[in-house]
Amino acid sequence: MAGALPLSKTQKLLHALYYMLLFIFAVFYLLPFWGAVTTSLKSSAEVFTTSPLSFPEKLTLEGYRAAFNHLKKPLLNSLIITAGGTFFSVLLGSICGYAFAQYRFKFDNVIFVLVVSAIFLPYQAILVPLFQTIRRLGLYDTVWGLILAHTAYGIPMMTLLFRSFYGDIPRCIVQQAMLDGYRPWAIYRRIILPSTKIATVTAVVFQFASIWNELLFSLVLTGYDAMPATVSLNQMMGTLAAEWNVQMAGSMWLALPILVLYIIMGKYLIRGYMAGSVAAT
Amino acid sequence: MRQFFQRHPLIVLVIPLGMVFYFVYVGLAWNILVSLSGWTGLRVDYSFKGFGNYLRMLDDSVFWLSLKNTLLLFAIIPICVVLGLFLAVILDKGLKGTNFFRNVFLLPFALSFVVTGTLWAWMYNPANGIINSLLRAMGLGFLAGTWHTAQETVMPAIILALVWQFSGYASLIFLAGLKSVPENQVQAAYLDGASSLKVFWRVILPQLKAPLTTAIVVIAMYALRSFDFIWVLTGGGPGYSSHTLSVMMYRETFLSTRYAYGAAIATALLVLVLLLIVPYTYRTYRR
Repeated sequence: MAGALPLSKTQKLLHALYYMLLFIFAVFYLLPFWGAVTTSLKSSAEVFTTSPLSFPEKLTLEGYRAAFNHLKKPLLNSLIITAGGTFFSVLLGSICGYAFAQYRFKFDNVIFVLVVSAIFLPYQAILVPLFQTIRRLGLYDTVWGLILAHTAYGIPMMTLLFRSFYGDIPRCIVQQAMLDGYRPWAIYRRIILPSTKIATVTAVVFQFASIWNELLFSLVLTGYDAMPATVSLNQMMGTLAAEWNVQMAGSMWLALPILVLYIIMGKYLIRGYMAGSVAAT
Repeated sequence: MRQFFQRHPLIVLVIPLGMVFYFVYVGLAWNILVSLSGWTGLRVDYSFKGFGNYLRMLDDSVFWLSLKNTLLLFAIIPICVVLGLFLAVILDKGLKGTNFFRNVFLLPFALSFVVTGTLWAWMYNPANGIINSLLRAMGLGFLAGTWHTAQETVMPAIILALVWQFSGYASLIFLAGLKSVPENQVQAAYLDGASSLKVFWRVILPQLKAPLTTAIVVIAMYALRSFDFIWVLTGGGPGYSSHTLSVMMYRETFLSTRYAYGAAIATALLVLVLLLIVPYTYRTYRR
């Protein structure tokens, strides 16, 4: 509609105003990032003598090197935990979503509401039992402890997501396949999964981002060996309080996978945010 | 075994449903059990002590301060809703580059609170942080503040940063809502001679009820559970001034090893969440 007619003078003025507002807000949202990038590229000495917003007089990767030495192992831990937690929560959530979307069984609605209500769980309310469980299983300070926790608490959201995605597949297709002699899990593998690849990608991207970013469970369930990067960066703030270039570089290391994900797969991440919240309404 | 599986294919659901049942519902009951015990220190102790921890909580000024701060964080809801709606309306004008701006506004929401908390610590740093440096450079040095490092300004500082992080999400939700308002209704209203303000209030806004509820509930949940960001930025300080219930629970339980007392605080937080969520889910799933 907008581009079809030549714009009148007032419309042009209005558009200029809109762009100005968008630009002002873009500055507000990007300001902390700009400050972080410039600071991360300065030497420790320069951080104290120049404005945090000014471009570095002498570019240096000193901060990135120092932060990486600090975060090397935690980043690897984060990667393992995130990969494992994403895989299992997406797999189990997808199975649940399929069952709730395509089959009727006893108490299915009650069970579904109970599972999905857990999305709103304040994690503090299960933190002591979770801590005890993981300790008793001998999984404290192992990547498996966190993978288990992220899987269990990821299932509710994934169930909700997949149920709404799989609900879009017409019931008659599944019924026809059953008449043809396919069993439920053969239908899942041969019909449901291949026709909903976008749903799977959306769920994977969504879970990857939330597990990678998580702090509370990581803080409680790990000590030194399995410490993820979020905890390590948080500790760096205490030990390297004055080294702002290293801290900003550390933030950038931690943000890097998410930034890459956001740039190349942002569409799916946004789909995940939307599907999650729209399905919940 | 194989035959049983073939006859009851849905039996696989036992694994995920069992996990949710154990980690969520057994966990909640277990936590209440802990809250009624006298467990302090590293040695596990489930001896029944009654409601002592809850009584102690009601008598604890830190608890009331944490509750107040938790509710204070609800201030981000109206601010995010108004700002998000405002941005969504501009983004919905069909201008070129809209997607770019939408992605910029949403970027903070995608990142870890640990990253954003570290970034805002630098923003707010009183000595040579971004905000104070910017103010001084503009000749407004007298406005340079103490931000998250002083008791009086720490909560507003946290609220501003959380608005920064969540308003883009609100605008995303509203933008989708605006896109689903039928074009012909808007056109018809204009043809009837309604002003654009009136069209917005009478035609568009009433149809945004669903996204409005979504945005409010999701942001309220983040506000109630907010731990990560505050923990990274202030650790609950200075003093107790930025303690929320989730921060207080973590401190009491895992730093002071008062497990029973921490469990009681967690129960209080749970009650608060239930008060907010039950009416909402009831309405949603009644259909």
